[in-house]
Amino acid sequence: MIELALHIKRTIRSWIFPLVVGVVYAALYTYNSQSTVRAFDVSCSILKQMILPVCFVICMMTALNRVLSPAIVTRFLGQKTGIKGVLLSALAGILSMGPLYAWYPLFKSLKEQGASTFIIANFISCRSVKPVLFPVLFAYFGWDFTFLFVGICLVGALMTAYIVTFLSFYKVSRIV
Amino acid sequence: MKIVIPSNSPDMEGTVASKLGTAPYVLIIETDDMSFEVKDGPPQSSGTGAGVAVISLAVSLKADALIVGYVAPHIVNAMKKQSIDIVIGVSGPVSEVLSAYLDEPVDDSTEENTEQDETGSGQWKEAFKKGVGQFYNMLPRLLGVILLLGLFKSFVSQQVLLSLFSGSYLKDILIGAGLGSILVGNPINSYVIAESLLNSGVTQAGAMALMMTWVNVGIIQLPVEAQALGWRFALVRNITAFGVTIFLSIVFAVWQRGYI
Repeated sequence: MIELALHIKRTIRSWIFPLVVGVVYAALYTYNSQSTVRAFDVSCSILKQMILPVCFVICMMTALNRVLSPAIVTRFLGQKTGIKGVLLSALAGILSMGPLYAWYPLFKSLKEQGASTFIIANFISCRSVKPVLFPVLFAYFGWDFTFLFVGICLVGALMTAYIVTFLSFYKVSRIV
Repeated sequence: MKIVIPSNSPDMEGTVASKLGTAPYVLIIETDDMSFEVKDGPPQSSGTGAGVAVISLAVSLKADALIVGYVAPHIVNAMKKQSIDIVIGVSGPVSEVLSAYLDEPVDDSTEENTEQDETGSGQWKEAFKKGVGQFYNMLPRLLGVILLLGLFKSFVSQQVLLSLFSGSYLKDILIGAGLGSILVGNPINSYVIAESLLNSGVTQAGAMALMMTWVNVGIIQLPVEAQALGWRFALVRNITAFGVTIFLSIVFAVWQRGYI
């Protein structure tokens, strides 16, 4: 009974944010109905674009939940994974497709299973390098800028991951 | 033999903790000479990660056994694969529990739990249900963020955004990084905007800052990131990514002007 009450309370709380946004929509509709309807259409098209990545992410999460255990995640993506962990998380970030927000449930799952702060921060930061978009980059900005941009993105990803780990150090390493 | 025991006291007289994540201390006992080392338990704020932190410690120390009041069956399985013996269902002073374990190290209840879990046929189904559940938990905030994105894209035109740039290095970098932090979408959109910026006389460093923060910093999706990874992580990561982008864009600008 108490669990059910807590579940209902949690569910209501989690819907407060989208409800507030809904109220903002309603208020803006009275001010500029055309733009508000367009905003809703844009949101719907973003949602449609997310369907495929979300399906992919749920499949990955299912596989990870089934195959990975906290011990395995700790070994390969934990705090003492060394260069292997850096390369693995960078590769995962570079190859991951779709919007970042579709990947948050996976990050949450990995974190709960023991993935380190560094690995998650590096994964997120390396998403700025997208090999499938290289032809577009070449066409728009030329080879020189493209190589520089990709190099700077990778350096930036490592710097960000190290700084985030350092700033979270006390909380993360208290036990280790 | 190395044994890990979470406890409420930093000595052998304390009692064995009922759960991994709730113990203020973790004892690492070397049974060859009965010497022990004491580590602080996971902080209360760790939430679900607290238990994992103790497991991580046991794995990294190559412990032979872990003794605690209760551990979920799937963790027992995972630890068993790591050749770590898990003893659960115990309580009382650490010294007594340890003596009992050393006299009879195999715990029947643990074996039973492990077998039950391994023979379960719907493990994939369970994993799928868990995955969908994890996604569903984040769905409300995700919907809110997507609705906000729609508002931003509809009410703020590209012309307004372009008019903010001035052609000076530092200002362009700051505005580029700021805009990239707010705007969200496929990275290809950032390339299109960046090209328009370059054609309008904005510096390459400013365009680069926009393209980098476009993917790395997300102010609008901050609530979703915080829900998944905690507010502390979300804020630190976004602020750091913003700062690193500014720094690297300035380095790029200085290099372009021939100072490096």
